[in-house]
Amino acid sequence: MSRAVTALVCRDLTVGHPGTPVLRGLSFTVAAGELLAVLGPSGSGKTTLLHTIAGFIQPLAGEIRLADRLVAVAGGRRPVPPEHRAVGVVFQHYALWPHLTVLETVAYPVRRSGASRAQSRRTAAELLAELRIEHTANRRPNELSGGEQQRVALARALARHPAVYLFDEPTAHLDAPLRGVVLGEVADQRQRQGAAALYATHDAAEALAIADRVAVVCDGGLAQLAAPAEVYERPASFAAARLTGPASVLEPEHSEGDGATWALTIGDATAVVPIAGAVALGADGSATRWLARPDWVCLSPDGPFAARILAVAFHGPYTDYRLETAAGALLAREPGRARYPVGEHVRWSLSQTWPLDAAQPPSQLAADVPKLAGRSSRDA
Amino acid sequence: MTRSARSVSVLIVLGLLAVLVAIPVVQLARTALASGWSGLGAALGSAQAVLALEHTVLVSVMVTALAVLGGGACALAVERRPPRVRAVLRLAVISPLLIPEFVLGFSWAQVYGPAGTLDHAAGITIPGLIGPAGVVLVLAVHAMPLAYLVIAAGLSARAEPELELAARASGAGGWTVLRSVTLPLLRPALTAAAALVFVTAANSFAVPQVLGTPAGFATMSTLIYGDLNLSAAPNVFDQLAAVALEQTVLVLAAILVFGLALRRMQSTPVRGPLPSGARYRPGRGRAAGRVTGSLIGLYALIATVIPLLALIGVALTRGPGLAPTPGDWTTANFTAAFTGPTWIGLWHSLILAAVAAAAVTLMSLPTVLGVGRRARAALGAGVMLAYAVPGSALAVGILIAYGRPLEDSALIILIAYLAKLWAVGQRSLSGAADRLVPEHVMAARASGAGALTALRSVVLPPLRAALLTGAGLVFVLAVQEVTMSGILYGPGTETFAAVILNQQDLGSDGATAALALAMTVPLLLIGALLAAGPRRYPRLSGIAA
Repeated sequence: MSRAVTALVCRDLTVGHPGTPVLRGLSFTVAAGELLAVLGPSGSGKTTLLHTIAGFIQPLAGEIRLADRLVAVAGGRRPVPPEHRAVGVVFQHYALWPHLTVLETVAYPVRRSGASRAQSRRTAAELLAELRIEHTANRRPNELSGGEQQRVALARALARHPAVYLFDEPTAHLDAPLRGVVLGEVADQRQRQGAAALYATHDAAEALAIADRVAVVCDGGLAQLAAPAEVYERPASFAAARLTGPASVLEPEHSEGDGATWALTIGDATAVVPIAGAVALGADGSATRWLARPDWVCLSPDGPFAARILAVAFHGPYTDYRLETAAGALLAREPGRARYPVGEHVRWSLSQTWPLDAAQPPSQLAADVPKLAGRSSRDA
Repeated sequence: MTRSARSVSVLIVLGLLAVLVAIPVVQLARTALASGWSGLGAALGSAQAVLALEHTVLVSVMVTALAVLGGGACALAVERRPPRVRAVLRLAVISPLLIPEFVLGFSWAQVYGPAGTLDHAAGITIPGLIGPAGVVLVLAVHAMPLAYLVIAAGLSARAEPELELAARASGAGGWTVLRSVTLPLLRPALTAAAALVFVTAANSFAVPQVLGTPAGFATMSTLIYGDLNLSAAPNVFDQLAAVALEQTVLVLAAILVFGLALRRMQSTPVRGPLPSGARYRPGRGRAAGRVTGSLIGLYALIATVIPLLALIGVALTRGPGLAPTPGDWTTANFTAAFTGPTWIGLWHSLILAAVAAAAVTLMSLPTVLGVGRRARAALGAGVMLAYAVPGSALAVGILIAYGRPLEDSALIILIAYLAKLWAVGQRSLSGAADRLVPEHVMAARASGAGALTALRSVVLPPLRAALLTGAGLVFVLAVQEVTMSGILYGPGTETFAAVILNQQDLGSDGATAALALAMTVPLLLIGALLAAGPRRYPRLSGIAA
């Protein structure tokens, strides 16, 4: 099976009503086999983006290419209707047809692609067996559990063998254990079929865990597009930092540095802290606000800075501490059970940091380099 | 709600059902069977009765087919449009409902019939308007909004746009989506609409009376009315009772069949969270939208606007055949129409309607508040079944059961109104009651409110709009009711409707048009309210359904 190198190209995509666009000038490329997570708060336009790519909404401006085929160009010729686009959609609320059984539902797209009735049913039954829900074949959606509904919706999308899968928060309504199962399935199926996928979610942990790259969508624009580690360690803005995981903001009294390391003055102590990812900032990349992820904070008696513990929350595998420092409130995370009680004065250090309002941001933040499928260890 | 309050409520409702509906129907059956089954067979076997049955079934089936097709097409064309366009198109589609059935039939005859306004002006008539074809056509126009409302409600309740999007994303084109997803999802709504239209058509009296009777085309309703008016001989009365019983059985049997069909399709709503927030709809071609928009506008023009304008013209013009130009304008028709007996009839109708509206509101309270959701559904079904009993048959039954003690009293008309219009008030209230949250009363009680205070402060306020809507609808429907008051009125208890029927019998078109206009004004006001506040729309559609 020969597939195009790029599965999806969106260029200058603007969607919504004239004057009040929901999405403004989005440009990105998804390579074949790549999983791009679209991370954004609810109402940021994730569903709109997915529906535009699927062909349910026509863009106001820009163009969309699916598997090297131009499917929508604003103001141009007639857009390709959804049924002729190579997409498989898993809807946010599954959108299962109440009048069809599971088998009929999964056979539906196969039948539409021209297979005979019997053949489409056979294909559907095979898919159901692959997803281990063959026992539900003759049930209707209202007789299914949440997880089963989810898998049926997934099977229906898989049955189309599309170039791009569009997942619209498919795990938003599942409980945690079920999520893990479903996420594994998505990665599994996608790798087997070699298709690309867009996965809309508001959950940073989910996006970082499954994606090859993460597109951070904020206020209708693309705030950042980079690998998961990149958006976590070096978010493009304060808003992006908040979306991509737990983030504390430090406002030290003074900071100065040479590029790769910076000296932060917090309280009466000054310590040199490396920049995340050892990226060289320009000498004038001074900042007043610095990012601290909870895992970058180390509580130890010989740490340079002082803090007082405001709250402790034990989560099982790890413990969260809320600290009060001279540079603001700070979240720290340590493996294991709590070591300090509330009110204790502790000392801490910072293993790395990242400027949130640098006058001159590092250049590679804006880069949009498609990352080719080479992350199978993460996918599996 | 305590157990005793519950059983009292149930007893009240059952008692009212017995007095208002069961006793009249049983009395009707007793009269029809006065000379045994062979007598009933003979009465129903007469050429007249057989013909009336055939005509009623034929008209009902054809009207059902036309109205459900048209209403379904309109629902599909209108409901998925952007909200602002949708509000206008909806009003256009339901506009015939804003004209009383009698007035619709009369005004169509005036404008499209032979020697009608268009015939005089341009030689245009609708062939066969006076006769079976006209009866079917105008009844279909009248019933199509009902079908549309039921199907549109089904469309929004069951056919989520996402389900159609999912089919598109699975590779189905527009027509395939319609065939494989939308229509199967709408099957229960289509069946319910068919049931409603069939019953409405089988029970209808005004249109067959205005358009069928002049051509010698009788349905069961008009046969009963004609027999009652023309003869007081006992054997004629027995035959009339037999036909009335047969009509009741026909309608109830149809409801049974439709009900069983609906049960088999048992709606299966999908669990899971409801989609929230604004949803996008796939943009349809602007040109196609404009075409359907103009078609619906044209339909409203032909069905409602032109007949209404013609009616005004006829009412304002000196004589038949004259052009409605200022030179021929006159108020003579109004003067002729609104003479002594008309004012008395109008007065009677207004008082009857007001009393009926108040009584129906009170009668609806126990069915809605006194009982739980399931008992409410069961009692509601009983009330709806009472509504389905044909007006002419119900009136004859009430005449037999209560005619002697209540002779020459308007009370007998009131009984008929309460029996027939109870369902309207009950329906409007129970929809709102279903949306009440039981926890609200608990919260009020836990906050220190007594049972009555809780009722007054948290239960009734959210129901206020529904109570007012229900009472208003009962009032309007009672003022324009023709079938039952036409049968039940006596000397001294003429209603407005009886006056109009007599005026039309006399053949004075100008005066009838003037009265018909007066009858239409209250409904048109409601239509204006609809246009002004589209948010109220779903509640009204729930009542009509």
